[in-house]
Amino acid sequence: MSKLKEALESKKFVVTGEVGPPKGVDIDKCLDEAEHLRGKVVAINVTDLQSAVMRVGSMAVSAKLVERGLEPVFQVTCRDRNRLALQSDLLSAWVLGIRNVLCLTGDHPVLGDHTEAKPVYDLDSVQLLKAVTGLNQGHDMVGHELDGSPEFFMGAVVTPAADPLEPQIIKMEKKIDAGARFFQTQAIYEPDRFEDFVKQASEFKVPIIAGIVMLKSAAMARFMNENVAGIHVPDALVQELADTPKEDRKKKSVDVSARLIRELKPLCQGVHIMPLGWDELVPQVIKEAGLD
Amino acid sequence: MHATIQKPIDEIVKCFKPGEKVFVVGCDNCAAKCHSGGIPETEEMANRLKARGVNVVGWCVPQPAGVSLCKLANTKRVLQEEYGEQIKEADSFLVLACGQGFHTVMDATDGEMVHPGCDTVFGGETVTDDFITEYCSLCGECVVEYTGGLCPVTLCAKSLLNGPCGGAKDGKCEVDRNRDCGWQLIYDRLKQLGRLEQMKDYVEPKNHAKWSRPRSLVVHLGDATFKSLGGEHTVANKD
Repeated sequence: MSKLKEALESKKFVVTGEVGPPKGVDIDKCLDEAEHLRGKVVAINVTDLQSAVMRVGSMAVSAKLVERGLEPVFQVTCRDRNRLALQSDLLSAWVLGIRNVLCLTGDHPVLGDHTEAKPVYDLDSVQLLKAVTGLNQGHDMVGHELDGSPEFFMGAVVTPAADPLEPQIIKMEKKIDAGARFFQTQAIYEPDRFEDFVKQASEFKVPIIAGIVMLKSAAMARFMNENVAGIHVPDALVQELADTPKEDRKKKSVDVSARLIRELKPLCQGVHIMPLGWDELVPQVIKEAGLD
Repeated sequence: MHATIQKPIDEIVKCFKPGEKVFVVGCDNCAAKCHSGGIPETEEMANRLKARGVNVVGWCVPQPAGVSLCKLANTKRVLQEEYGEQIKEADSFLVLACGQGFHTVMDATDGEMVHPGCDTVFGGETVTDDFITEYCSLCGECVVEYTGGLCPVTLCAKSLLNGPCGGAKDGKCEVDRNRDCGWQLIYDRLKQLGRLEQMKDYVEPKNHAKWSRPRSLVVHLGDATFKSLGGEHTVANKD
């Protein structure tokens, strides 16, 4: 049984975290990062070749978390596998004890480190969700019956700060129809804008877990503003980071994240904290946000 | 049209063995429009090769004007009847055309050695005399009825069928910020057409068996039969 599902169904405000598998087989550091989140978050997302960079897979690290009694959210992108491999990996993940799956499109290979790779995208994220629904119902994509079926709790992503927002809302509804039962969002820095999104999405009555990417510096904020779609760090916040002495950056990052969480809390059903390696600070963020 | 671009001349020259007698063939349709294998480029190629010491025994761009090299009967007639002597003398052919025209020359010469002089890059629209771009991926299963006539398989970098990913910024694609997001174009067009409702319909995954290669088409005046790994189906084109 998915604890994430239980928590959301019992209307608890949830906190999820995230780890990124390493490039190479030394996964101790990654697992240590996950340990910082123990008891603080209900589930930990494990990214799937994040930014299209080749590394250890999401399934392996998710299974390691299961072994340690931590609950993973197995991220699955459509970039690298066709429908055979996707369905097979989902069955394998269930066998390994993985109960939550987050279905994503996936960054294009040209953004990563194997730019000449063939992009697969045999399915898109909506079709992938539908495939997971089928597996849950006991059949594969061509209708063949499964010998034992999983019961994945499946989620999807949405970009609340997208401009225009309407295509995101249209796709969000398609994802819900396809089986998405929770949404994790791209990083939010503008609660007002997030509120506009929540109003438009409120009719869907699906839990929304707001994304919190911990800001490490003004340079990082500026970089995201220029390069990452759907993320906008307001000028005032960039300035606040710029005015922070280097030795106080971690504290500032915690303060900013906690402040955002407090502002977002009335608008959503949980927060997804993406610490990007600063996992040891997550307990402090949770404490300052008044969530522990 | 099949868009083609010439291979770099140094790469082409490397294909020939010392003393190899080469006959150069161009195409008066698509390759002519791409300036990769029309009459001027084919003659020029013969001269460029000669200047680099290649033994060129002749060149031609099968006529009548505007005819495609990939029309086997015409290409065979022209090569064999109008250039019979030079064809016999040639050890090989350099083809300045798309991959289909290239193979047509192989067929037209009863299996002689053929060298590709061009890369076939895509099937495209000749928007202006000097700009050709791609709107169709030849997937065998057209979906543009649901997307305002704009193909997501071609215009979206990820060929997504059910709407945009989260990667677009200011209407531009994550793979290249100078390139329009295909789904932004589709959204804008559906909205403009008053058909945005269509974007809400779920689109099934593509049948990639229809995109399997090689595919074939048998055509008659009254019907046509398309054959791929997705099966074979015949459609009548009159009642």
